[in-house]
Amino acid sequence: MSDVTASGAPVAEPKVETPFRRFVSEFFASKTATLGLVVFTIIALLAILAPWIAPQNPYDLAQLDIMDGRLEPGAVGGSGITHWLGTDDQGRDMLSGIIYGLRISLLVGAGSALIACLVGASLGLLAAYAGGRTDSVIMRVVDLQLSFPTILAALMILAFLGKGILNVVIALVIVEWAYYARTVRGSALVERNKEYIEAARCLALPTRRILFGHLFPNCLPPLIVVGTMQVARAIALEATLSFLGLGVPITEPSLGLLIANGFEYMLSGKYWISFYPGIALLVTIVSINLVGDHLRDVLNPRLKK
Amino acid sequence: MKTAIRAAAFATMAFVVPASAQNLTMAVGAPVTSLDPHFHQLSPNNAVAGMVFDRLINTDGQSRMVPGLAESWRAVAPDVWEFRLRRGVRFHNGQEFTAEDVAFTFQRVPNVPNSPSSFAGFVRPIRNVEIVDSHTLRLSTNGPYPLLPQDMTNVYILDRETHQNVTTEQFNSVQAAIGTGPYRVLSHRPGDRIEFERNDQYFGERPAFGRVNYRMITNDSARTAALLAGDVEFIDQVPTADLARLRGDQRVAMSEVTGLRVIYLSLDHMREDATPFVTDNDGRPIARNPLRDVRVRRALSMGIDRQAIVDRVMEGAATPTGQFFPPGIFSYVPDLPAPRFDAEGARRLLAEAGFPNGFRIQLNGPNDRYPNDGRIIQAIGQMWTRIGVRTTVEAQPWTTFVARAGRQEYSAFLIGWGSNPEGSHPLRNLIASFDRERGWGASNRGRYSNPELDRRLDEAMREIDDARRERMLIDAQRLALEDVAIIPLHIQTNVWAMRRHLRHDARADESTRAQDVRPAVQR
Repeated sequence: MSDVTASGAPVAEPKVETPFRRFVSEFFASKTATLGLVVFTIIALLAILAPWIAPQNPYDLAQLDIMDGRLEPGAVGGSGITHWLGTDDQGRDMLSGIIYGLRISLLVGAGSALIACLVGASLGLLAAYAGGRTDSVIMRVVDLQLSFPTILAALMILAFLGKGILNVVIALVIVEWAYYARTVRGSALVERNKEYIEAARCLALPTRRILFGHLFPNCLPPLIVVGTMQVARAIALEATLSFLGLGVPITEPSLGLLIANGFEYMLSGKYWISFYPGIALLVTIVSINLVGDHLRDVLNPRLKK
Repeated sequence: MKTAIRAAAFATMAFVVPASAQNLTMAVGAPVTSLDPHFHQLSPNNAVAGMVFDRLINTDGQSRMVPGLAESWRAVAPDVWEFRLRRGVRFHNGQEFTAEDVAFTFQRVPNVPNSPSSFAGFVRPIRNVEIVDSHTLRLSTNGPYPLLPQDMTNVYILDRETHQNVTTEQFNSVQAAIGTGPYRVLSHRPGDRIEFERNDQYFGERPAFGRVNYRMITNDSARTAALLAGDVEFIDQVPTADLARLRGDQRVAMSEVTGLRVIYLSLDHMREDATPFVTDNDGRPIARNPLRDVRVRRALSMGIDRQAIVDRVMEGAATPTGQFFPPGIFSYVPDLPAPRFDAEGARRLLAEAGFPNGFRIQLNGPNDRYPNDGRIIQAIGQMWTRIGVRTTVEAQPWTTFVARAGRQEYSAFLIGWGSNPEGSHPLRNLIASFDRERGWGASNRGRYSNPELDRRLDEAMREIDDARRERMLIDAQRLALEDVAIIPLHIQTNVWAMRRHLRHDARADESTRAQDVRPAVQR
C-alpha cells in the first residue's frame, strides 16, 4: 500500500528542512506534549471567552444570592441556573467561578512571566555583554534575590503593596526576574565569544543592535524553556498568595481564593467548593509543565540522542 | 491537608489517657497571653483568671452579679459603696484573705508595666478605700457612681503578702499565680498548655475534675479534629463550618448560649461633605455625605436580610438583632425587634432621600477577626446592590483594618463589640460623642454625635437606683437606635463541643473554664 502511494503520488517538491519545521515536527512527536498543548489551548480559550460561556458573572454581587449558597453539584438555584459544579458559600456558581478564575490565573501568570522575562533578560544580557563591575553588581543582586524563599519574598512585598491583581503581578515580577537574568547571562556568556559577535563588533555596530539583534536571538531557546516553566510557577504562586488571603479581592476570587473559601467546609463534606478549582489549577499547571518539559528536550541539543 | 489532620489525630490517639472522672483535657481556640490577671484585658486571659482567682463580685453564666469574695454590697451613700467580705477564705498558699488584700489589689491594678490593655479603668472611679474592719470595706467615688459593682466583676483579687512587687513574668512562670479560685496552676507553657489542679479548700462549689489539661489549639480544623479523635474531650469556639458535622455526631454533645458580642456596621457620621467611599452611579463623589441622612441609614438597615445571614452564613450560630443585648440582660430594650427585611421599603426611603437610583459604596471589614466576617460583608454587598446601592466589598487583616477604621478612613465597615451587661457600656463606648478627656466614644469610629443622647447617658450614669437607671438606659438606647447611629446585625452565639460523657454550663461572656464542665448524668 505504502509503496503505491509513495510511487503513485507525483513527487511533491521535497520539504525544505527549516529549523522551525524541524522544531515543530520534533515537538509533536511527543504525545504527552501534544496533549499538554491541546489541553492548555482549551483552557486558554475558556479563559478568553469567559464572559460569553460562563453561566453567570461571578464577580457581580447582584447576580449572586446567598440563599443559593453551598448547593451541591447539579442543583438548580433560585435564579434558574443549573450549577453543574455546585456553588460556594456566597451562592457563586462554581463553574463560572472557575472559568473566570482561570482568566485571572493565566493573566497573572503570563503577564508577570512576560514582564519578568523582559526585565530579567535585558539585565542578564547587559551583565554578560558588559562584564566587569556591571556584571558583578547585577549578578550579586540576582544571588541575593534567589537566596530568599520565593513565597516569603512575595508575601513581604504584598504586605507592603496591599491587595490587588496588579500588585500580585508586581510582586511576582520582583521575585521572578532573577531566574531569567541568570539563564540569559549564562548562554550569552557562551555566545559572546563566538566569531559572529566579534564580526559585528568589528563592523562597529551599535551596542544595542549587537545585544538585541544578534546576541539575544541566540539566547532564546533556554529562555523559552525557563519562561514556560515560570508561567506555571507564577500561576501556582498567585494561587498560594490568594489562598493565604493576600492576593485578589474577596469578591473577585481566583482559583486559589476559591480553594481557600471551600477549605473550611472540607470536614463538613462539602468537598466541591475546594475540589473543582483545585482540579482546574492542577490541570492548568500540569499542561503547561508538559509543554515546557518537552520544549526543553527539543531545544537543548545536548539532550538529543 | 485533611488527611494530614487525620494522620496527626491518629498519631496522637495512641497516647490518649483513658477518660476518667478525675482528669479533663480541654482545648481553647485563642491563646492565653499571660497568667497575670491585671496584665491584658482579653477573654482567654479572663477565663483562666476566673479559674485561679476570684473577684469581689463574680458573674454567673448569664453575666449576672453573684457574690464572690464579697458576700454582700450596697450603697451606703450615693457616692459610698460598702462591701462585706467573705470570712475564712484562704489563698492557695494558705494566706488568709482580708480587706487589706483588696486595698493592695486596687493599688497594683494601675501599675502593671507594659500592659497592652489595662484594667486601670475599673479602679479609677475609686477615690478612697476605707478599711472598716478586717472584712468590711468602704469605697468612695467622685459623685454618685452606680457602676462600681459592675466594675468590681473585672478586678481579680491578689494577696498583699504574696504579691508585693511581683512582676508579670513571675505570674507567667507559675510561682506567683496564686489566688483563691477553684483551681491552682501546676505548670504553664505559654501559647501551648496550662495544667491545673483542684483547690480542695475552695469556698464555692467543688469542681468535678481534679486535674485539668488546658491546651491552646488555634487552628479551627485541628481543634475539631482533636475532639473527634478523642485527643481532647472539650473544645470552645466551634467553627460554624463544622457545626452541622458535629451536631450529627453521636459521640459529641454541644452547649451554646447567646453571647454579649454584637456584630454591627459603623457608618461615617463625621464628614458633612463627600465621604471617601461613596460615589454616585458614575463614580463621581457626592457633594454631601448621604450617610448623614437618617432615611438613607434606615434604608441600608432595612435592606439587610439578617435572618438570611444568620441561617446561611452563621449556620444558625447567631441571633438577628436591632440592639446591643439579647433578652434577659440588664437594660435590654424589650420593644425593639431586629429591623424587618424590606427591600421595597428601602428603595422607597432612598428615593425619598433623593437617591431614586441609589449610589455606590464600598463596605470594608476584617477577614480574620470574627466568625465569617469576610462572608458577612459580601452577603451585605449582595443585598445592598439589590436595593440599588451598588456595593463593592473589601476585607483586610484585622490589624490593618482596625488602624484605618480608627482613623475614620472608611465610609462603612463591619466590626464587633463585646459588651459588659449594662447599657451604659456600649452607649458610652460606641455611641456617645467622642471625647478623649472624658473617655467617652473611645470606639465610636463613625463619630456619631447626639447631644441629647450624651445628656441622657450622663444622667443615667449618676442614677444609683437600678430600676430607674435601667429605664433611662433603655430610653437612651432606643433614641440611638431609632436614629440608626449604628446598624446592628446579629449577636453571636457562643458554642462549645464536648465528648458525650461531659456536660457544660455555657457562659455568655465566652469564658471557657474547667469548673463549668461536669460529667454528664449516667443513664
